[in-house]
Amino acid sequence: MRMELILYFYGAVCVCMILFNICYTLSLRRRAPRMARRMKKLAKVTRGHLALLAGGQQRLPPGEAARLSRLLGRRWNLMAFYRLLQQGFQGQEAARDAYLAQLQPVFLSLAMGYLRREPMQASYFVYVLAQCWPPRLTATEALQQVLLDYLRKDNLYCRLNTMKALCRFGSPAYLVQAVQIQDDGVLVTHEKLVTETLLTYTGDHQQLIAALWDRLDRFTPHTQLAVLNYIRFRSGQWCRQMLALLVQEDRDKETRLAAIRYFGRYPYPPALDHLLAFARDRTPERWAYATVAVAALARYPEPRVVNTLKQALHSGNWYIRSAAAQSLDEQHAEYHQLLDIMAGNDRYAREMITYHLQIRQLRQEEARPE
Amino acid sequence: MTSGMPLFFDVVGIFFILYMFGYASFLFLSVTVGSSALYKNQQRAQLKSELAGDYYVPVTIIVPAYNEAVTICSSIQSLLALEYKLYEIVVVDDGSTDDTARVLCETFHLRPVNRPIQRKIPCQQVEAVFEGHHNKVPIALIRKANGGKADALNMGINAAKYPYFICMDADSVLQRDALERIVRPVLEEGSVIAVGGAVRPCNGVEIRDGQVVSYHMPHKLLPCMQVLEYDRSFLAARILFDKFNGSIIISGAFGLFRKNLVIDAGGYDTSTMGEDMELVVKLHVFCRDHGIPYRLRYATDAICWTQVPEHLDDLCRQRRRWHIGLFQSMGRHRRVFGHPKYGLVGFVSYLYFLIYELFSPYIELFGLFTVALAFWVDLINVPFMILFFFIYVVYSAILSLTAFFARTHTADLHLTPGDVCKAIMLCAVEVSFLRLILAWVRATSLIGYRRKKADWGTITRRDIKFQ
Repeated sequence: MRMELILYFYGAVCVCMILFNICYTLSLRRRAPRMARRMKKLAKVTRGHLALLAGGQQRLPPGEAARLSRLLGRRWNLMAFYRLLQQGFQGQEAARDAYLAQLQPVFLSLAMGYLRREPMQASYFVYVLAQCWPPRLTATEALQQVLLDYLRKDNLYCRLNTMKALCRFGSPAYLVQAVQIQDDGVLVTHEKLVTETLLTYTGDHQQLIAALWDRLDRFTPHTQLAVLNYIRFRSGQWCRQMLALLVQEDRDKETRLAAIRYFGRYPYPPALDHLLAFARDRTPERWAYATVAVAALARYPEPRVVNTLKQALHSGNWYIRSAAAQSLDEQHAEYHQLLDIMAGNDRYAREMITYHLQIRQLRQEEARPE
Repeated sequence: MTSGMPLFFDVVGIFFILYMFGYASFLFLSVTVGSSALYKNQQRAQLKSELAGDYYVPVTIIVPAYNEAVTICSSIQSLLALEYKLYEIVVVDDGSTDDTARVLCETFHLRPVNRPIQRKIPCQQVEAVFEGHHNKVPIALIRKANGGKADALNMGINAAKYPYFICMDADSVLQRDALERIVRPVLEEGSVIAVGGAVRPCNGVEIRDGQVVSYHMPHKLLPCMQVLEYDRSFLAARILFDKFNGSIIISGAFGLFRKNLVIDAGGYDTSTMGEDMELVVKLHVFCRDHGIPYRLRYATDAICWTQVPEHLDDLCRQRRRWHIGLFQSMGRHRRVFGHPKYGLVGFVSYLYFLIYELFSPYIELFGLFTVALAFWVDLINVPFMILFFFIYVVYSAILSLTAFFARTHTADLHLTPGDVCKAIMLCAVEVSFLRLILAWVRATSLIGYRRKKADWGTITRRDIKFQ
């Protein structure tokens, strides 16, 4: 009898699975028409609002705003509204942006509502803001303040979408606060994600960099690295500050390496002596500094740099040798300048530079028209 | 003798009840968890709770090849069509005796160079290196002395310039967004050291510009059954293991690894056939022994299309290799089993693979033997046995179908009524016949396995329909 019970149990599991498959297939079929119906309904509401605004109303009547808040408080309606904004206003972007500017009270009310929802829904709400909000239209203080609370959620996507929304608003003060909050250690956001998000900022980047630099020491080294990388991608006007950071021995290694990379992108003569010192340093533990410095020296075409790079070719570290050969290649060092290496006894240096010269030749041949 | 028989059958009966209960529960759990994870992922994608944007981690794609002249160009073309922006391709020709290297050099205009390669992991000598660019993607072809797939992969790791590498088979193609998706877990969690991609049979699938343009169940029955088997056994089970960081297999057909950690762990083991599984178990052991926080993830939406064998002898050869690889990997890392230091990997994953993968063919064949014996001594309730077998087939078939539908629904693949009928009919055949055949193949695979150590185990190839 017990055995039969087990069989019945598994039979019931089978029936449940079959029912689940059938129900899901049916719901999948109905999903698209349902979404189309929602979009149609919201399009009607939106058209009404646009007519009101075109008729001279300065702002939406409170009743209409409350109705829209109620509608968009449902996740499926918010999805339909997002699609409507994407598809229904093609060629009328200015009208859409003007309409969205009128919806600030609606978005504030929604922001407070979605903040209490599960992270996936909260994340979707801020995603809609990040995608649809008119660029550089600064949102109300209240809305930005509420968004900062979204950053306290233990969800990566919610945090990233919120930061993207704040980037869209273009207010540096709130964005710097956001960077600080996400740096709480509860959730470690990959530095690439922070950097790429900051790069989507729609306001004045110099202002944002200044605000971030003021707070740099309050961030963890991880976030500092993200910020420094962002500065490297966006502006070459921070050489003086970067040099000050580079010379601080007690700084985190990765942040100092980021500073060296900055000087590899933006040549700065006062930094050259420091780069040469790093490149000549043969302490095994400091090979990473030497490698990055050797790579950065590619942008400093001076005889003493070429000599340092040629010395680096004799390094016992494979990465330093490779970076040195790469930099010499980027400096367009000619064969006769490298004769001492090519005719020398160091096989590893010779192999490395020969390879890079071959690669250069291949590049030139590939670039040549057939 | 005859008085001992009932006792023997009682013990056997209890053993098989426990065995089947364990298997049925695991199957139920894996399919339920796997399917719900797929639906949850779909919901996440709908609600944009995923990393979308220009987030790129530099990746080296290593393609080990041995006599792959027929398929290698399609594979590389699929790699060149990827949406990703920061990657290089390293093809390692493991001493092919066909035209693999020549075909590659001619198609992609590769030129010989004297590239120095740092040998951080031991591998066979380089014979020649060719390089070139295609659509701004660097391609390197390294010809080396034959040493087996693991050795070729080690060479690829040595030559890789980027901090992460992907290993893939030369007879597979990646979906256009596969690289972007397999990299996401690395960006989501800093401790991720390896990510497994979802490997799906491409027989019957037409892929254009890295995207599926037409999806059908394969015409031939054998690949059709493998489609169902892949979704049930590999997909669902791996999602379940992923939930507790217990994956001990990342398919050699498509997996992403952090290079420095693999080098520190010693790279691929050239003496095993299941080098992919061996590496993953080794990474578990290495990280836990050195107190390195780590996470292995499974990216269900990073899809690699691979050819599954269309002939029974090819399939048997493949499964024989897999079973030997499983045996070698589990034997090599047997200290993981039940050791508290290795947590659930040792208690759950290893135990599951031991009982339901490594020993299962022997247990199943023993089961058939006892059924025959019981029938002979008239100690079996035949109607109940038939009912039991029927329930088992229906149960497994329905769970297979659930996993299959979950996969197709969530991947936006549209099935024709013919495909659905085919799936429904074949799932029972797969469970009741193919499984038994493969049990026999796996049970006999260890006979004389030492002779096949560095064998590539080729199957009959067709060029993949990739345009």
